[in-house]
Amino acid sequence: MNQLENILSQVKKPARYTGGEWNSIRKEWDKIELKTVFAFPDVYEVGMSHLGMHILYNIVNSRPDALMERVFAPWPDMADRIREDGLPLFALESQRPVKDFDIVAFTLQYEMSFSNILYMLSLAGIPLYAEERNEEDPLVIAGGPCAFNPEPMADFIDLFVIGEGEDVINELLDLVLAGKRANFQKNELLFQAAGIPGVYAPSLYDVSYGEDGAFSRIRPVRADVPEKITKRVVKDLDAAPFPLKPVVPATAAVHDRMMIEVFRGCTRGCRFCQAGIIYRPVREKKPETVLRQAAGLVKNTGFDEISLTSLSSSDYTPVLEVVKSLAQEHAGRGVNVSLPSLRADHFSMELAREVQRVRRSSLTFAPEAGTQRLRDVINKGVTEEDLMETAGAAFRGGWQAIKLYFMIGLPTETDDDVAGIARLARQVLALGRKSGVSRGRLKVTVSVSSFVPKPHTVFQWEPQERLEDLRRKQNALSSQTRERGLTLNYHDAGLSFIEAAFARGDRRLGSALARAFALGCRFDGWSEYFNIDLWLEAFRQAGLDPAAYAYRRFSYDDPLPWGHIDAGVSRQYLVLEHKRALAGAVTPDCRSGDCPGCGLCPALEIEPFYAGGDL
Amino acid sequence: MPRYRMMYAKEGPAKYISHLDLIRAFERAARRAGLPIAFTRGFNPHAKLSFAAPLAVGTAGEAEFADIELDRDIPAGVVAKSLAAAMPDGLRLIEVRPVAQSAPALMAIVDRAAYTARAALIAPPQNETLQRTVDSFLARPEILVERRSKTGDKRKCDIKPGIFALSAHMDNDIIELAAELKTGSSGNIRCEELIAAFMEDSGLCARGNFVLSRRALLSAGGNLADLLW
Repeated sequence: MNQLENILSQVKKPARYTGGEWNSIRKEWDKIELKTVFAFPDVYEVGMSHLGMHILYNIVNSRPDALMERVFAPWPDMADRIREDGLPLFALESQRPVKDFDIVAFTLQYEMSFSNILYMLSLAGIPLYAEERNEEDPLVIAGGPCAFNPEPMADFIDLFVIGEGEDVINELLDLVLAGKRANFQKNELLFQAAGIPGVYAPSLYDVSYGEDGAFSRIRPVRADVPEKITKRVVKDLDAAPFPLKPVVPATAAVHDRMMIEVFRGCTRGCRFCQAGIIYRPVREKKPETVLRQAAGLVKNTGFDEISLTSLSSSDYTPVLEVVKSLAQEHAGRGVNVSLPSLRADHFSMELAREVQRVRRSSLTFAPEAGTQRLRDVINKGVTEEDLMETAGAAFRGGWQAIKLYFMIGLPTETDDDVAGIARLARQVLALGRKSGVSRGRLKVTVSVSSFVPKPHTVFQWEPQERLEDLRRKQNALSSQTRERGLTLNYHDAGLSFIEAAFARGDRRLGSALARAFALGCRFDGWSEYFNIDLWLEAFRQAGLDPAAYAYRRFSYDDPLPWGHIDAGVSRQYLVLEHKRALAGAVTPDCRSGDCPGCGLCPALEIEPFYAGGDL
Repeated sequence: MPRYRMMYAKEGPAKYISHLDLIRAFERAARRAGLPIAFTRGFNPHAKLSFAAPLAVGTAGEAEFADIELDRDIPAGVVAKSLAAAMPDGLRLIEVRPVAQSAPALMAIVDRAAYTARAALIAPPQNETLQRTVDSFLARPEILVERRSKTGDKRKCDIKPGIFALSAHMDNDIIELAAELKTGSSGNIRCEELIAAFMEDSGLCARGNFVLSRRALLSAGGNLADLLW
């Protein structure tokens, strides 16, 4: 029995580590000049659900001069076993050590996965700090939404890619290849990479702090390094590379289905939402593109479900026609169509009926706040009437379970707004009973998360609500939702507190992160592993106060640690929107044609694209 | 609806696919192969696929069986060819034959399974000594193993009635066990349990884990591969 087999026979879910899945690509190692590995800082089932990985895997592997393999964070039982056996972290395709690759590319999906990046580097035997890595070590790069405030990870990452990766990945690989051929020193490579639009080389910037200890500014060390890094945007989503042969996971992924991105961006303008800013502008795929991609995916993967993904799929202009066509074409083979979440409006119900023609699951709505006043503050254009009307139609249409998503700790929130969440949930429950859903089957699930103010959003200047107040509100909610058929889920507020510190943090947080990892933190997005005491101890050792980051109220004039990263939306617009939020004034959907003036389209020389409703 | 019986091997990376994931893997392969899979009716339709006997994660299967139903008649050779090309690494389709609608379900026929298990031993015995060890193990009035119920309670269970055959021999320092064990919905014995009980009883000590393989599925009367078609 070889060493790996022996290990696999002793760990949970060994299929996470075997590779060899359908559509996985194993290129001949010695024949490929540039070797890259996509590193997902969470477990296999989570990482395999990430569309971005499949997109980049497809792009890189379609180049004859490069290969991309995959590696996921091994579950702690596996990590213990490979450490005991002295095996380094290996990539799935070739089972070669991660440190043998030229580039290790992490995705930053979530602040609480930062500790897993150090965990993976450490298991791979790669020095954690960028400055400790030499010419022999892989170049460690990172992208994804959390790269929009890269500073807390700046000590560990050589290059960040800001924005959408489809085009810039090739530019970066071309440069690294050229560098490999010309024997560039690492520093030379970093300087040249910093010249690629959207690429940020943090070691080429100096950060300074004021006498009060607050972040004061960040400046390039050389005149030829850009002061601002502007996000990359793909102009034409129909022409963008999209994987029609994604790897089919060997063990059920969290989203175990075909994913077709129907559009990128979102026009709704919810003020808490970071994705709504960083993926602007809206770019829809033409219906014929979606149908063609779906046909390819069904044939190449064998999945039984097509999920039309985006930030708000019921907003996709031709959604009804596309859903109908897909159901017509594929339902006969037991292939079902799904939408990840629906808005609580009349149109969504019509859509839901189409979606459910093949298979019936629960419906999910996200009113986000419990009162109209607060929904106006966050610009969530859903009314109570919308919700009740839609829920009523759903119950009459045969649905028995409804999920409702809310946030607590939103700016200006009062106890009455929180009580409004419970009122709304009970109203939906009562409506279910009135509509004749049997008591045993009727289920209303309320999921409540704690608001985290995120960089580049309208609420970026706002402090997070204090931990003790969040906990008090959670307790209040749980006493207000004790009713048969009603289930309340909420996240650990302590986790959201650490998340806020990192979301809004500056470069000094790197030392808190390194200490947290040294104290044993990993898999912090998993409640069974998150331990707030370890994080508080890590901050203490680093001489930093997480509260100073999470609870800080920035003034409009304060320099922001992420100020050198340009998401394309003007600061002026965010200030205006922030003021409108506090005044409870709603801003129309950008789709309405009434441009709210965020400034992105002229700045990035791009326009929204709507696919139109005709097939 | 036309029904087809598949003989396949589960090896390499596919050894680690759990039974639930295996069902999905077959359904997906059939869809990729463009086969008109038959589905059950109801709220949650699922593919009409049935397996002879689940295989433990990590154990290879050399001649496993499953049935699939299709919506229309397709020559078995065509089913075999298209399906074989759509199977992931380690799932190897060996043969496909049509079976009568009235044929009994696979699960109802399987009664026992033949396994081999290999591991290196730290202090390898002579073959004669090993034979005596096996004999005395099988001569015990009962062979108790500990099982956990779904609620987590431990209970003792006598597996002796389900051991139809057990032999062992040494190949240098490698012990090779061959066993025939009760398999199915009642009295099922996992090969790992037998090995654990034998190793404890014999005082032998393995270097690392056993490599397990299910060689054949058997009915009460003989090898399924000879009986099923």
